[in-house]
Amino acid sequence: MTMDQRQQIEELVYRSSLALDEGDFKGFLRLCDDSFRYSVVAFSPEIRKEMTWLDLDKAGMDTLFTNLPRHNSDHSPLARHVTVYTVAGSGDRADVVSALQVFRTTLDGGGTGLFAVGRYHDTVALGVGGPSLLKRVVRMVTREMGAGYHIPL
Amino acid sequence: MAKNSAAWDAKPKFPSSHYVDSRIYTDQSLFDEEKEKLFKSSWIIACHESEIEKAYDYRLFTHPTGVPLIIVRGEDMKIRSFYNICPHRGNTILYDPAGNAKRMTCIFHAWSFDARGNCIDISRGEQGYQDRYCKEDAALREVKAELGFGGFVWVNLDDASCTLKEYIGPALDMLEPHMQEPMEVFHFHKATVDTNYKLWHDTNSEFYHDFVHYFNRITGMMQPGYFDRKYVGYANGHASVGSMEIKYDAYAGSKKRAVGWPGLAPGGWILIDIFPGMTYNLRTSVLRIDTVVPLGPNKLVVEFRGLGLKSDTPEQRAERIFDHNTIWGPFGRNLHEDLLAVMGQGRAMREGTDSRWVIHGREENSTIHDEIGMRHFYAEWSKRMGRAAHDPFRQGHPDPARAAA
Repeated sequence: MTMDQRQQIEELVYRSSLALDEGDFKGFLRLCDDSFRYSVVAFSPEIRKEMTWLDLDKAGMDTLFTNLPRHNSDHSPLARHVTVYTVAGSGDRADVVSALQVFRTTLDGGGTGLFAVGRYHDTVALGVGGPSLLKRVVRMVTREMGAGYHIPL
Repeated sequence: MAKNSAAWDAKPKFPSSHYVDSRIYTDQSLFDEEKEKLFKSSWIIACHESEIEKAYDYRLFTHPTGVPLIIVRGEDMKIRSFYNICPHRGNTILYDPAGNAKRMTCIFHAWSFDARGNCIDISRGEQGYQDRYCKEDAALREVKAELGFGGFVWVNLDDASCTLKEYIGPALDMLEPHMQEPMEVFHFHKATVDTNYKLWHDTNSEFYHDFVHYFNRITGMMQPGYFDRKYVGYANGHASVGSMEIKYDAYAGSKKRAVGWPGLAPGGWILIDIFPGMTYNLRTSVLRIDTVVPLGPNKLVVEFRGLGLKSDTPEQRAERIFDHNTIWGPFGRNLHEDLLAVMGQGRAMREGTDSRWVIHGREENSTIHDEIGMRHFYAEWSKRMGRAAHDPFRQGHPDPARAAA
């Protein structure tokens, strides 16, 4: 993998986070391959099992994003802080592991607190037009998020 | 016309059973009393049998009174419960929320206990205690534990309490036919929110709040049968609401549920509230169980469990997990809205806000938007507390018995 490819992959991950932070869901989906799949997983030490909290294909994500404004929801914004740790590529795809920290800022007063931590495990397609997201698994370390959230992390 | 101070303070124009004083949600002394009078002697769900399948499997549970408990399956496969408190120097014995421990050893001074609560080793016991204190003196405090009603492990801190069967009575009869097959927990998460535990239970006891699920009304409130669902109250403050068919495919982008539940009509939904803070919620393909663990008058942990059938194929289980999380997961479309709603109540009614009354006044022949479920709860609350929920400090009625009545 060239340095240029790695830089493009890192920028893809960062752009995806920026799009979600800004509520630009169409923009997020434009960064995803047609076969994109998104999931949120966590291990529960209480029941000693892997849990899947969200598992959607690209169409499912599109529906979710479309319906979001129709629900009552917490409107305090999230800010995702992502650091790409590793990029392992071979051929037409790369596996990317990034650290994820999500901060929430209150609407009244603007205090910011840590909302969740975890990792992005992304699979990236390396096409001629540049990299795109094939799969994102958000592995949560944080499992307690108060009232939860309607927008995927 | 907006209200002035006197009008705001005036009692609502309803029978006293149809409103409560909002201080029952905020007052620390009432909260402390609730722990003693309500939670200590009630049967509480601590976990499910599938969480402790093998001999020596254990699970920790913080009882709503604050007592830390160990739930452990013995070598005889019997499930027992003990305080997670070392009788030596009051230390925590087990730390991981679940595990397998043939010996439960306190890390502080290495005193060890078996799954029957016996102390099996006091490190350098004879040297220190000679014949003044021995292992037999150092057993764990055992708590009543019973298995039942869908394979749940129930605990009761009151040694003189009634049996679990007596406590539940017929309240879960509607669900019993659907809980004959062994079940398994596949989902667990906690939500800590700033609200009172009763406000969460209230939300599970009335469906008028379906308006908070505004966009999701298409699957329920706007479908035939919704307004036919009826509340039934049972002894000890429990209540149920009858079933209807949920039209999942009416929600944009959704489809009918691919898997069902034994004996339950397709799209069926049964909800049963168990006093003082547990809810069985069987919705088409998944059983959800809520257990409240109040931390203070305006601080609450809710433990959420999702269960499927032990006999599920991987494909069936995947469908149940999807169904569960679509509605009830931390990123699901309904649970988030419910929690936001009760947090809003906690915010508006917290100490010092001059909130005054909460109205439970809807009467619709006990059907889905009738608030009889909450009234039934507060009648039991008043009886057990010896205080009327509408007048908890006996300012209007000096005789507690009369006030409760």
